[in-house]
Amino acid sequence: MSSADMPKNRPVEASYGKKIMRDVFSRLGAKLGLAWIAIIAFAAVFAPFLANSHPLLLSINGEVSSPALRFLTPGDVTILGVFMCVVVLYFLHLSFTKNIAVLAAVGGGIGLLSIIFVNPLQLTVYEQYRINEVAENYDWVIRAPIPYSPKDYLREQGDTGLEAPLSDEHRVHLMGTEENGADVLSRMIHASRIALAIGFIATGIALFIGVILGGLMGYFSGIVDMIGMRLVEIFEAVPTLFLLLIFVAFFERSLYVMMIIIGITGWPGYARYVRAEFLRLRQQEFVQAAIVCGLPLRSILFRHMLPNGMAPILVAASFGVASAILAEATLSFLGLGLVDNPSWGQMLNQSVQSSTFNWWMAAFPGGAIFLTVFAYNLIGESMRDAIDPHLKHKS
Amino acid sequence: MSTYIIRRLLLMIPTLLGITLVVFTVMASAPGGISAQSLVEGQNLEPQAKKALEDYYNKLYGLDSPAPVQYLRWLNNVSPVGFTFDEAGNLDGFSLFKGSYLGKSFLYGRPVTDLISERVPITALLNIISIPIIYIIAVAIGVRAATQRGQSFDVGSSVVMLSFWSMPTMLTGVLLIGFFASNQYWHWFPTSGLNDRVALDMVFLPHWGSLSDILILIFSVLFATAFFIWMSRWSKPHARAACFAVIGLLAGFFMADALPEKEQGLITSLMLISLAAALFGAVAYAQYSVLRVFFMGLVGLGIGFIIAAYFQEGPFVRGFLLDRAWHLVLPVICLTYGGFAFLSKLTRTALLENLLSDYARTARAKGVSDNDVLWRHVFRNSLLPLITVSASLLPSLLGGSVIVESIFSIDGMGKLAVEAVKGRDRELVLSLTLISGLLTLLSYLIADICYAIADPRVSYE
Repeated sequence: MSSADMPKNRPVEASYGKKIMRDVFSRLGAKLGLAWIAIIAFAAVFAPFLANSHPLLLSINGEVSSPALRFLTPGDVTILGVFMCVVVLYFLHLSFTKNIAVLAAVGGGIGLLSIIFVNPLQLTVYEQYRINEVAENYDWVIRAPIPYSPKDYLREQGDTGLEAPLSDEHRVHLMGTEENGADVLSRMIHASRIALAIGFIATGIALFIGVILGGLMGYFSGIVDMIGMRLVEIFEAVPTLFLLLIFVAFFERSLYVMMIIIGITGWPGYARYVRAEFLRLRQQEFVQAAIVCGLPLRSILFRHMLPNGMAPILVAASFGVASAILAEATLSFLGLGLVDNPSWGQMLNQSVQSSTFNWWMAAFPGGAIFLTVFAYNLIGESMRDAIDPHLKHKS
Repeated sequence: MSTYIIRRLLLMIPTLLGITLVVFTVMASAPGGISAQSLVEGQNLEPQAKKALEDYYNKLYGLDSPAPVQYLRWLNNVSPVGFTFDEAGNLDGFSLFKGSYLGKSFLYGRPVTDLISERVPITALLNIISIPIIYIIAVAIGVRAATQRGQSFDVGSSVVMLSFWSMPTMLTGVLLIGFFASNQYWHWFPTSGLNDRVALDMVFLPHWGSLSDILILIFSVLFATAFFIWMSRWSKPHARAACFAVIGLLAGFFMADALPEKEQGLITSLMLISLAAALFGAVAYAQYSVLRVFFMGLVGLGIGFIIAAYFQEGPFVRGFLLDRAWHLVLPVICLTYGGFAFLSKLTRTALLENLLSDYARTARAKGVSDNDVLWRHVFRNSLLPLITVSASLLPSLLGGSVIVESIFSIDGMGKLAVEAVKGRDRELVLSLTLISGLLTLLSYLIADICYAIADPRVSYE
């Protein structure tokens, strides 16, 4: 029935996906999880304005300047641009594929432009602001809420080093400092970007491989299925952590390599789910009809079959994001993660490496990992409950 | 059945081949890869000595040959059936019983078989202790949650279990060591290893100085445990909670007192005391009698030991067994909590499905008591998913022990794997992959067989 046949006054019924989503996010667990992820996302996007040694605004002899903006990196600019784009798209109500396409185009465009045009000063002297401020060279100055950059070791202060939260009289470190004197909270805010990016991109890669291989396996069955399942078995028979360790230890350590590797080791689970769904769907009339119509394979698989089998895959993906974050944290913890930039796992590793036990160095980054993983798991759990017809039927 | 098993065993061979091929490809295609140069790198040597060492490695491990040849050579060494070579490396013939040889570790310079046979018992010990604990707790919680569906215990336990599941092992491990093993806070447990060096010379069982000490110990432990269990069965929840809150208050006070001078303070003490009192009171107030009895019995046991230690006169040797147990407490906690969170959820779902089914209703309608329905009918039928999962638990525990073993510096398989990977030790990495892959596949097979035994409807003919 096309929309023209419908009586005008009856409201168009929401799609299955929208109904499920409304059901999911009416649950308390999913709401709390989403709230925490929103906080993390906020911290990740606005990290340079939340925790920065460069003042946001300052005035010298009536001349107003913004060092924080001056020192934005291409990465910062790209993230901010993509965020703006997401906000605009939210109000435009475009279709899903259009959204993705616009987002990819904008992200790529801003990324390229910012690499060419944004070049922050290489030499950053964090001390100058504090020295000038003490010497009263500024008319006025507005600092970030946490006036320390993640790699600002406060060298000019002389007395820095390990400090428990709020133990210093002169400086405010809400979560203390690590061994070199850098602010833990500032490092955590900047590391939240890594956690978010790893979670989404690694799961995206795993989903991509898993959906395509699983879809082909389920659709063709027979010999393709047989070979594909052996491949799945091969990847499942080695403990994932061990496989990850091998990959990471033998390749260079960078964020992107890590994302790809976590994605490559994570796909078998999704392939299993998609295969099971597609094996069920390929017998149904609408798929038979699509085949008879002579639609191309791509269209049958992704336009007609995939949306019908998407629900359990989304649940698995939600848990997958959680386990990708855990995987990154574990690798960093074992000393195989990023070298230069702080990540939550690496900060946890730092706390083990130091000669004494400092609870703030372990509890805060570890707590952030825990809460983020918990948030994704809560959302996954709510989704599972929402799409489970069994449960709904009996309650 | 036997044809099925044989077919599955034969199907394992291509999978195992695939696993090692994947791992070998990763290692060989990595920049730097495995070459004599990367092994010698970092050692401060004269150029000639370096060259000599490189030649030695090349000759010993065949590192200068192309990667496919290296892989085939390794395969030939490992497979029990294959070609044999004479001393000079020339093809000697084909043998059906040449035995498999896992090679020699680059890193340790010892045969891989030796290394692994040293480490396997340790990881096995950890897992053998953890798995029963996981199952007991998971079944206890899952059954309770299923029978009280939708009530506070069900909701509460599911949230708590999900949060346990999300808790990274490294965080728990680091915090447990930091607070309960370092001498900055409570130095109750050892920080690392599986036994003290002193304990190696001790006798196996603990020893007491005199008979009276043993009698005091037995008497005080029995009395305290019995007393606390009796108290946990007290039918007035408010009185129970009040009594236990007082005990918690005292416990919190002692914990605060046991802190070293530097960490002591009014706020810390107050926090500890109120926390302990709240915990004890809450457990005592709980409706779940099994939990109550277990927790209070444990408290009684501890208090009994403390009383006995106070009155003890003669010397006391803790012996190897107690020392080992003492070292195992924290690692086992880290290994178990993630597992039972997952399993209890599974138990709950399986039980719910059966509790709502027709045969359970029929049994209840016939007048079978609720307990009998639960344990004799429903529980047995709900065991199936638990059996299937037990197989996938094994590889995850192997993986989990990587973190636990490196936090607690226990020399097991997990730590060996990390060391091998970090040291680019080709033979060791490949052997570990092969063994863990084999174990995983075998455990899948065993699970499938158990499944058929437990459920007569399942047959593989």
